[in-house]
Amino acid sequence: MSGENGSDSPQGRRAFLWSASTVAMAGGLAGSYGTFAVMAGRFLYPSATGGKAWQFVAEAHRINPGEAMMYQAPDGSLVTITRQGNEAEAKDFLALSSVCPHLGCRVHWESHNKRFFCPCHNGVFDPGGSPVSGPPADAGQSLPQYPLKIERGLLFIEVALGDIDNRRA
Amino acid sequence: MASISQWFQERIPISGDQLRELTNEPVPNHLKHWWFCLGGTPAYLFVVQIVTGILLAFYYEASPRTAYESVRYISEQASYGWYIRSLHKWAATLMVAAVILHQMRVYFTGGYRKPRELNWMVGMCLLICTLTVAFTGYSLVYEQLSYWGATVGANIADGVPFLGGFFKRMLLAGDAYNEHTLSRFFILHAAVLPVTMIFLLAIHITLIRLQGITELHFEDEPQEGPKHFNFFPDHLYTELIIGLALMVILSALALALPADLGPRADPLTTPEVIKPEWFFYVVFCWLKLFSGTFAILSTGLIVFVMFLWPFIDAWIRRHTKAREASVWIGIFAVLAIIGLTVWEAAVSH
Amino acid sequence: MTLKAKQIIIAILGGAFLLSLIFVQIMEVIRKGQESGRLAPHIAVPENSKDCVSCHRDLSPGIIDHWAGSTHARKGVGCVECHQAERGDADGFDHYGTHIATVVTPRDCSRCHPQVADEFARSHHAAAGNILHSLDNFLAETVEGARTPFNPHSPTPGMAVGQVNGMASAFVGCHQCHGSRVALQATDGGQITVKDLEPGEDGKPTNLEAVDRIQKDKDERPLYHPGTWPNTGIGRLNLDGSKGSCSACHSRHDFSPRRARQPENCGKCHLGPDHPQKEIYEESKHGVAYRDLRDHMNLNAESWILGQDYSQAPTCATCHMSGHTRNDGRITHDPGQRISWTNRPPVSALMDTDIHHKVVKETDPAKRRELISDTWEAKRNRMKQVCLHCHTSDYVSGFYKQYDDFVILYNEKFAKPGQKIMASLRDKGLITKTQFDEEIEWTWFYLWHHEGRRARHGASMMAPDYAHWHGMYEVAERFYQGLIPQAREIAEHAASEGKKEQAVAVNKVIDDILARPEHAWIHGK
Repeated sequence: MSGENGSDSPQGRRAFLWSASTVAMAGGLAGSYGTFAVMAGRFLYPSATGGKAWQFVAEAHRINPGEAMMYQAPDGSLVTITRQGNEAEAKDFLALSSVCPHLGCRVHWESHNKRFFCPCHNGVFDPGGSPVSGPPADAGQSLPQYPLKIERGLLFIEVALGDIDNRRA
Repeated sequence: MASISQWFQERIPISGDQLRELTNEPVPNHLKHWWFCLGGTPAYLFVVQIVTGILLAFYYEASPRTAYESVRYISEQASYGWYIRSLHKWAATLMVAAVILHQMRVYFTGGYRKPRELNWMVGMCLLICTLTVAFTGYSLVYEQLSYWGATVGANIADGVPFLGGFFKRMLLAGDAYNEHTLSRFFILHAAVLPVTMIFLLAIHITLIRLQGITELHFEDEPQEGPKHFNFFPDHLYTELIIGLALMVILSALALALPADLGPRADPLTTPEVIKPEWFFYVVFCWLKLFSGTFAILSTGLIVFVMFLWPFIDAWIRRHTKAREASVWIGIFAVLAIIGLTVWEAAVSH
Repeated sequence: MTLKAKQIIIAILGGAFLLSLIFVQIMEVIRKGQESGRLAPHIAVPENSKDCVSCHRDLSPGIIDHWAGSTHARKGVGCVECHQAERGDADGFDHYGTHIATVVTPRDCSRCHPQVADEFARSHHAAAGNILHSLDNFLAETVEGARTPFNPHSPTPGMAVGQVNGMASAFVGCHQCHGSRVALQATDGGQITVKDLEPGEDGKPTNLEAVDRIQKDKDERPLYHPGTWPNTGIGRLNLDGSKGSCSACHSRHDFSPRRARQPENCGKCHLGPDHPQKEIYEESKHGVAYRDLRDHMNLNAESWILGQDYSQAPTCATCHMSGHTRNDGRITHDPGQRISWTNRPPVSALMDTDIHHKVVKETDPAKRRELISDTWEAKRNRMKQVCLHCHTSDYVSGFYKQYDDFVILYNEKFAKPGQKIMASLRDKGLITKTQFDEEIEWTWFYLWHHEGRRARHGASMMAPDYAHWHGMYEVAERFYQGLIPQAREIAEHAASEGKKEQAVAVNKVIDDILARPEHAWIHGK
């Protein structure tokens, strides 16, 4: 039994012939434990977050032209909503993510300087979200925008909904 | 090939031959009988527990406010979460069963006798650790039975004279279940006990390796021919077979009887029936038969006797003619354990 | 066992393990499918309401579940959006970090639904709280109860009863449909209502002295007077000056339009001996068709336009409020816009309304023309636009002629004469000023408030039995066998007591009425 495959002799060890049974064994082991490892991997990998939907923000008249309002999306991200125009139409509003496109720090609106400022590397954006100076300007990265719409005088934003059924979370 | 092994040998000064010599333990022939693999079984299941336990720990939250919901998340939302949790639950049950069967095998084959008394005591420590890790594990789910089982268990510990109060307060982080209790159980279950068990296991296996395995002779063995067989690959294959067989059994159990979620812990309401896990039935029944200090002391005495059994057995064999007393005592003990367990399982209260 | 054998066994067992994992995968796919199917349209709790939900999901899980199935939830309108209060609101209080009020009024709803709130506010629904000054009110508060508490007759085994709350019938009965005057408890034991608070345009109280007297609990939460809250009456008089409650028809917390489209919803209040609209509808062909075909009527649809989304049968909402293809699908929350006769008063009146949406009572034609801003004909035309979806124009006109004739018959033969008789009895002092202390007052009340209304409503919605047997027949019986003999008896009694002149005057009124040709039959002519 020990010398059957020649696996005990020195030559046998070097020139190890993979017999059918050995292949089958290796296949069985790799296939089964490997599949389990894949399942474990899927278990650990964060599940896809829920889709996007239009969510109510506020009555349109609550934001005056030139003013900004902070909105927190269901998945936690902060959005700055500003109003530029006087008309109550969606194009008069702007919803900018407050996540800096450079490395993800949170930008804040400086009303006295009329700009968005990122404290991490002094990135600066104009009121429209375009980069002015700092690393975002070098890379030409603007603040991401969210779609907005106005329905019957009410402002809605399209955002990711976050976890499935987070009313249970 | 040769240059690679040379590269390693320059940095790790051990030759391949030395390695083979160290690890290729000649395995006595009698170990081909399946019941001698009962030690490897709990060891394999321990590995399963560590792997599945680490996976579960990615989502489990050890805080009374969120523990139950995190277990629910694992069971209902995470991909394959129900499967991994069920594996963990059933492997726990099988591991305790395997440890107990292994101990019985060692007992009935006298494997605790000189010079192996110390290893028996290490094994007893492993038994206590296994039971404790199972107990703490179940408390983490924060179901009704988790909460009340932990409370009752801690109060039983409290019954130990002198040290009882100390044990209880260390276990609960207070005089009653509070907001620090659950994280304490979690650290015991996921860190302290597993590390201790790995350490004890290392000693356990080292002692076996150092002392060698007693050679037994069975009738069906040819007199001539090799008395040993190789660890690599023979015994390894055996262990792989056992491992795979266990995975199939565990998967079947996980599919047929997946881990459930009972009602959430309610500190204000004690359920009608509180029972510990099945492996504690014998202790539970015993404590119900005898009350108060006597019950706890007698339980402690029995555990103490179990610990020191090698020496007690040696004393008996030295001072009496009864050579096989241990076997009869063992049969009686097994029947008693089974009897009390079944009785407790049968009664509803 | 040979090595080879062992390898083969490992291969087989490996295959078995793999097979079990395939089963695991199947279960996983099924589970995922069930999860996504079970979950209602994907909703997310708005950030500012997350704390509310995480606590109330344990405390009152039904509220969270109802809300989660609502359109509000799908659009990201959570707890705070409706319940938020401003500093200065009489009923506001701090609740775990947010300033809220328990009661949500049409003023709160109007922030996002301004047009609807506006229409509703000028409708008769919003005015339902006016019952608080009416005869019905007197019945509930005084005849059935007592305006001030009184001592119990004898002990109640098992409960320590202090004083008897005589307002209970009003609180539980009339007010639950019509709406209570919401009151906060005052520190002096009394109540604080909108009358005390005198809210301004913004709903905040101007009378700060009253605000100071509001009784609060240990968490600074204002305490509601239990007789006035809970209450979802459609004409509720709220603390912020607004009238009504949107939840009356659009039940909270799912605010389902589908429920509001169904007659059973209106039927919570529009039923009973004095206005059996629900029973009348069920008798009518409209109700029969609805019962048969409701499952095909798209009740769940976003838009519910007659002639477009459904046409099998009308419900209450269809005729009185919903949009249809002839008005661009516009809904009105003012049902009065399509009603030509008001059958509520003893004598029905035509719905010529002024700019304040009140019925014009002026009789002089020239002056009427000045005051009228929306005529009854215009209202009737709006209703006809609905009818014309299923009925031809002649049919509709014919129906309205039948209806007008009926109302006028009731008015002229029974209502006006009855009114005149009662007026003369009152004027001549032959009945006391106190209502309902004499039998004839109950008789007259039954005649116009119960039987007369039933008859008119039955005619208006094509329920012949209610128009006739439950209606005009009983009106006639009440008139001839009740009102007339009782009035005569009072006159006779008055005469025997020495009030001869008054008795003669009353008898003359009765005689003049009965001399008219429509009553001639009673004299055997």
